[in-house]
Amino acid sequence: MTDDIERRDVLIATAMFTTMLGMGFWTEAAMAADAKPSTTVLITGASRGIGTEFVKQYAARGYTVIATARDPAKAVDLQALAKANKNISIERMDVLDHASIDALAAKLKGKPIDILVNNAGIGGGGVNQVFGKINYAVFDDVMKTNVEGPLKVSEAFIDNVAASNMKKIMMVSSSQGSVASVRSASLYFYRASKSALNMVTVNLAKALKDKGVIVGMVAPGATDTDFMIEVRGRMPLGKPSERTAGMIVQIDAFTMEKSGQFFEWNGETVPW
Amino acid sequence: MPAKIPRRTTLVGMAATFSTLAAKPVYAQGMGTVLITGASRGIGFEFAKRYAETGWTVIATARDPAMAEPLKALAKAHKNIRIEKLDVSDVKAVDALAEKLKGTAIDVLINNAGISGGSQNQKVGAIKYEVFDDVMHTNVLGPIKMAEAFAPHVAASTQKKIISISSTEGSLAGISARPDVNSIFYRASKSALNMAMINMAKALKDKGIIVIMLSPGLVQTDFVGDLRLPIMISAEQSVAMTMPIIARVTMDDTGKYFRHTGDLAAW
Repeated sequence: MTDDIERRDVLIATAMFTTMLGMGFWTEAAMAADAKPSTTVLITGASRGIGTEFVKQYAARGYTVIATARDPAKAVDLQALAKANKNISIERMDVLDHASIDALAAKLKGKPIDILVNNAGIGGGGVNQVFGKINYAVFDDVMKTNVEGPLKVSEAFIDNVAASNMKKIMMVSSSQGSVASVRSASLYFYRASKSALNMVTVNLAKALKDKGVIVGMVAPGATDTDFMIEVRGRMPLGKPSERTAGMIVQIDAFTMEKSGQFFEWNGETVPW
Repeated sequence: MPAKIPRRTTLVGMAATFSTLAAKPVYAQGMGTVLITGASRGIGFEFAKRYAETGWTVIATARDPAMAEPLKALAKAHKNIRIEKLDVSDVKAVDALAEKLKGTAIDVLINNAGISGGSQNQKVGAIKYEVFDDVMHTNVLGPIKMAEAFAPHVAASTQKKIISISSTEGSLAGISARPDVNSIFYRASKSALNMAMINMAKALKDKGIIVIMLSPGLVQTDFVGDLRLPIMISAEQSVAMTMPIIARVTMDDTGKYFRHTGDLAAW
């Protein structure tokens, strides 16, 4: 990522130099440099964990970042980040609240969004998903946050993404949703929600192909954030910064040929 | 993978030829008790009918038995069918029925109840989110709750099988390979159901319970509305094909996802 910034600086310097020399072929380089600040990314669930990392890393790249959170007032880290980076704006949006999604879509109408990162997600609590003691009260929250929410957000911002240069809608999924990879029983709802999200994404990829929108899934692997609080210390957890950087590399590499596919942060294909 | 089932069929077929059971279909062997959800119509009704005709004890559940005229007529004609009112998405109702049937061994639990949510409600760009909960509750939460609540009844039986009627519409590999976009919630619900049931298979292995997912084929019922395609089969044909699969699966098959043909469906 820092490579990109440096490259841009070099391009700007080169452009200025060539202009000064009056050689006249600076336009292409200057346009490439100009294109960078106009790249916009919207990240849901940006108040903590991987969401905040996405904000930090895309902002460092010079992208315009729209960071959404259910309760921005409580998102202290995100606020500090936005204070230090003029290219970050915070918007209130709860993926469970469709009126809040529609309201933000109306507010951002006409604004191109290059990358929409559907990051907001919940685990539902491992203790609520143990056979014999399954707590069905958490089912809706898990399904609506992890499946319905990303679909609704994607649908609401289709025009923004289609009007951009990169045209990417990315779902933060999980290898826990890999139907082919279940080793032992746990997290019934969470796993089911991610399998369902993957199916939604596969269909969305097909539905948006004609608009030139690339839709894909990325997974961070087990990462050391609040999300993993129940298992922290009991299994190896990756650094949020590294895992997010990995997912950004995968998002960069997404092309229309890969639309509808699912990659781990390290580039491995996740089996269905 | 598919080699296994045809081979088994052949073995069973050979054994049957040399036994007095030769005239009887495979599912007539080892009769027991079957509980079928969503038995008021379509595939569920056909399961109830066929199992009852074969001599099984049938517990047929329906959301609104009063309205289920064909099922009531069937139960009148077959003393071995008992109808119970049940909405599988109602967790308390499932608990109540499990309590009512406490001590009853259930050899085969068929999680058949399912809804499509209406394909017209699931078109990208105009999705009707109000159907999401109904689809997920009936197709995912219901089967999980049924399996959890009735695991003791199934564990107390001889055959110990939990069958969830899924669909190849829930196959991520299958749908990825196809160009069509359709019924996004329904498809997602079936992928979710498969995932939940794979976990259930792992959880219930120690109790000796076999858990499989079964795609009934493209069946011409109320479920598909006016859709008519050459590959469609009738509910009678579908059930005639899937009952032998249910009869033959063993613990080696737990967690597997079968097509009505007996082949395995791709994840």
